[in-house]
Amino acid sequence: MLILASAIFAVPFAWLALSSFKPLDQAMAMPPTLFPRAYFAPIGGERVEVTIDGPVRQGGVVADIVAGSDAGKRVFLPADQALARASELTNAHRVGENWIRVIEREPAERGAAPRWDIVPPEAVDSRIRFRWKNYPEALAALGGSEDGGGVSFWRFLGNTLAVCVLGVIGTVLSNAIVAYGFARVKWRGRDAFFSLTLATLMVPFPVMMVPLYGVFRELGWIGTLLPLWVPAFFGSAFNIFLMRQFFLGIPEELSEAARIDGSSEWTIFWRIILPLSKPVLAASAVFHFLYAWNDFMGPYLYLTKKETFTLSLALQAYQAQNGGVQWHYLMAASTVTILPVIVLFFFAQRTFIQGIATTGSKS
Amino acid sequence: MTRGERRSFFTGLAFTSPWIIGLAVFTAYPVLASLFYSFCDYSILKTPVWCGLENYKELVSDDLFWLSLRNTLFYAGLSVPLGTIVALSLALLLNADVRGKPFFRVLFYLPSIVPIVAASMLWIWIFNGQVGLLNWILTPLLAPFGLTPPAWLVDPTWAKPALILMSLWGTGNAMVIYLAGLQNVPKELYEAAEIDGATGWRRFWHVTLPQLAPVIYFNVVMSIISSLQIFTQAIVMSSAASGGTGTETDGFPARSTLFYTMHLFATAFYDLRMGYASAMAYVLFIIIATLTWLATRISRDRLN
Amino acid sequence: MSDPALTSQLRVASSHPANGGGLGARVKRLLWCAGLFSCGAMSFAAEKVKVVYWDKWTGPEGRSLRAVVDAFNRSQDRIEVEVLTVSPVDRKTLVATAGGNPPDIAGLWAYNIASFADAGALTPLEPFMREDGQTADEWQARYYPVYQRITRHNGVVYAAVCQPAMITLHWNKQLFREAGLDPERPPRTVHELDEYARKLTKRDPRTGEITQMGFLPQEPGWWPWVFCRWFGGQLFDGENITLATDPRNLEAMRWVASYTKDYGKDAVTKFASGFAGQFASPQAGFFSGKVAMVLQGVWYNAYIREYKPGLDYGVAPAWPSAVPGIDDFSLAEADVLVIPRGAKHPRGAWEFIKYLSSPNLQAQSREELTGIELLSYIQEKNSPLREWSPFFANHHPHPKIDVFRRLSASEHAEITPDIGIWTEYHREVLAAFANVRLLTATPEEALADAHRRLEKSWARHRRSLERHGQLPAKQNAEVKP
Repeated sequence: MLILASAIFAVPFAWLALSSFKPLDQAMAMPPTLFPRAYFAPIGGERVEVTIDGPVRQGGVVADIVAGSDAGKRVFLPADQALARASELTNAHRVGENWIRVIEREPAERGAAPRWDIVPPEAVDSRIRFRWKNYPEALAALGGSEDGGGVSFWRFLGNTLAVCVLGVIGTVLSNAIVAYGFARVKWRGRDAFFSLTLATLMVPFPVMMVPLYGVFRELGWIGTLLPLWVPAFFGSAFNIFLMRQFFLGIPEELSEAARIDGSSEWTIFWRIILPLSKPVLAASAVFHFLYAWNDFMGPYLYLTKKETFTLSLALQAYQAQNGGVQWHYLMAASTVTILPVIVLFFFAQRTFIQGIATTGSKS
Repeated sequence: MTRGERRSFFTGLAFTSPWIIGLAVFTAYPVLASLFYSFCDYSILKTPVWCGLENYKELVSDDLFWLSLRNTLFYAGLSVPLGTIVALSLALLLNADVRGKPFFRVLFYLPSIVPIVAASMLWIWIFNGQVGLLNWILTPLLAPFGLTPPAWLVDPTWAKPALILMSLWGTGNAMVIYLAGLQNVPKELYEAAEIDGATGWRRFWHVTLPQLAPVIYFNVVMSIISSLQIFTQAIVMSSAASGGTGTETDGFPARSTLFYTMHLFATAFYDLRMGYASAMAYVLFIIIATLTWLATRISRDRLN
Repeated sequence: MSDPALTSQLRVASSHPANGGGLGARVKRLLWCAGLFSCGAMSFAAEKVKVVYWDKWTGPEGRSLRAVVDAFNRSQDRIEVEVLTVSPVDRKTLVATAGGNPPDIAGLWAYNIASFADAGALTPLEPFMREDGQTADEWQARYYPVYQRITRHNGVVYAAVCQPAMITLHWNKQLFREAGLDPERPPRTVHELDEYARKLTKRDPRTGEITQMGFLPQEPGWWPWVFCRWFGGQLFDGENITLATDPRNLEAMRWVASYTKDYGKDAVTKFASGFAGQFASPQAGFFSGKVAMVLQGVWYNAYIREYKPGLDYGVAPAWPSAVPGIDDFSLAEADVLVIPRGAKHPRGAWEFIKYLSSPNLQAQSREELTGIELLSYIQEKNSPLREWSPFFANHHPHPKIDVFRRLSASEHAEITPDIGIWTEYHREVLAAFANVRLLTATPEEALADAHRRLEKSWARHRRSLERHGQLPAKQNAEVKP
């Protein structure tokens, strides 16, 4: 049971990783090949690397046309037609049902029509070969750098990291300070304000989307990364809640002792509370990083120019661009987007699991 | 106020000042402005013109509004209960003392933190009607019954179920929470149940579930709220399935994946009908608030 | 700093009913324009103006655009145009214009013009043309009529054609041969098209699955609305939506449904899902030999060379005739250049637009080509201008370019209807088209459904225009009781 369940959860990952190493025709092959392969077959007496175009359903004749406007073209004709046009044809040879149409993978001349033939299945052989080149090619394609005006993948990565890192700094700093004000300082109106803070958790983002856009327009921030990280410096209800819960759990005596020594609230916060709060700071940092890395709607709304795109947005833009997309590249680019998250997870596994477990059950 | 009180009042304000600004600029103002716009004919390029209840009246007779609402409720109505069942089952499986538990926990959890855009790309590929992995597996399984699998994302009947299937893959987050909850169930309760002769299903029903109820309740409410706002995966997948025909907020195929937030987004930013979109946003707000309130009441009644 | 002559010309433009508004709005706009122009003028004096140009294309189209922009940048020393690829360019431009941070030039689709203009997101071009001493009509006389129409909304010119295209039937000669059809003769009527399609369809003898089809209405499915026009129907009569009231639209949708009905819904869906959405890929329906005939544009030759070199194909002189007597039907599309409202350097933008639209018509060699001819030459497309330079006309890289030139001059070259809610209209037709071909609704239901919604949005759209004082005078008079 457990094995079955874990297989279901693992297979998509495996499929992603394997597809990202296949050449396009194999990524799209049916039935699928498990591992990426290289195929070889004879064309015109030479053994060359080929792509498999699929079986032909009926037998016929492959021949080269010698006369007329189509001279020089290789055609596949049903036997009767081939017979009728025998005078125009040369190099004719019979092919059987369920033979395989193979096409030369790399024509000697770029842009030239590749040679092809129809061969019996046993004439094709293959071996496993990972196409590592998918990765550099996919990363190049993602930014469209082939056009000269494109943007490098590293730019996307840099943007994403900037939004993540600045956002994490903002989140940790601002929410710790604010949560301290809610948890460790007694003041009139505090509890009412805290209830109001919690109430904002219920407001769905779409409610604020339009006016928020107006705010950022007035600030001149549309088309820049600013709307994606600056708000993190002004606190968020969820993180305030999370940290407040943690701060409440720190014994009050520690603060009292410091107050008697004449320390200011800021000193108490900075010297005593923060050092004790590493787990919750780490949890909110990790979660914000993850949120910012994965965020799509924000970038989709605020970013207009490719040079400011984050990875998620770049990936979607690549997929949706005019003229369609190469799936093997898309799989490789997706892998690249996913990988850092997995790495982060393995480094911060405990923080993750504990963080979720506490947020989920403490309410 | 005494001097001390005033002092601590200002200290409190000073500490919470970032949030006071944040709340005012990034939450309170937008929430109120949005309410105002919902009574206006407004686009950001033109001045708002007050039009009273016109936007709300139009919503009532707007097919697409209702369609997007139905689609969204269908999605939430299936993905939330199914997701809860899957997450709970996985947590129960793991809660038994199995070997390699950390490994499985990681495996089940990972999909939930993968960027949605990247995960969507992967699933688009898996759902592909002709060369997709899923149909390659399903075809021989369905063949004995004379059935063939659907083309998923390009079939209006199956596009939403496909999205639901994908959402089940990402339930690891809830699973971890349930697992933590399960481990907090006092051992004595199980022992007592065993003495009473309750095992298996009955033990789960009478001991585990009541103990876990608050956690489940919290998670269900959160997933309702988030699934009502489904956006990213629907945008990415419908745009991919449509192959560049039309726009990514159309809910291809045949509007079967036109979800509420998507429709709202398109209305606001592609049609520039921001007043109308604000009215839609407020309706969503009311729906979410009502559902949360209902869930709170029900769970309070049940828990007591 | 503002130039009085220009200001008075601007008054002409802004007093045009389509841009009108109350006196206040008019004065405001005037001030606003004057302010912008003076800023533009200031920076002219100082140093090179940097004009930001957003376009949608990557790949070969993107490269060729850059080549032309480079040529422009080299041709003078006042303006530097910088191209950025933005996708999807129309929505990003609208959102950026709304966000107060638009590019100076945006390469939109022609069908964006009406809705962008009504949203108040575009700068009318006539004031610039008048600066050059020409009226809009005079300035535009250089284009084939279809390309004049395609850049206007309610008679106001908002755009210049950048990448023109004509669309017609392409067929795979090899598959014609295999099916025993004359590879040199495309279907001439819709009836023939259907008949050819049947002959060109193959099934797997064992499973019955379709392995090849002659024609599929949804391949590529980018212009389902044009099927209505093709069958003689009208979508909008200038006043009212006519989607469901014109019986010929219904006929077109029935024809679309016939393809699903005749070949089997599941079979077609499954067959098509394998290459749905593939265009620039060897797996695309036409390139992989799965679909024998497609409606595609002048750009297709370049794509065929890239993704299926050596594919033996033909280009039909017009769409198969669907209405007796009309045998030169075709569809014109264009990418257009516009200057979004709030652009920082509208004048610099106009200079580039002017360069593009005024090529050297005496060009005798590749090196002498400029502007749109250079662009169209590299892209292997037709030029939208009536006059072609000797080199462009005689040494064009597209072997069948004459077909496309004839189509540009055709009386029945169709363009998207000029209606401010076209985005919505298009979306509705796409949805109706999907419903019709998936048989989830009858053609009657699908059209009636879309029609009802569109009528409502059209009424609403007019109400909103009226509210903001944007209704053209003619319509204004009729709306008011």
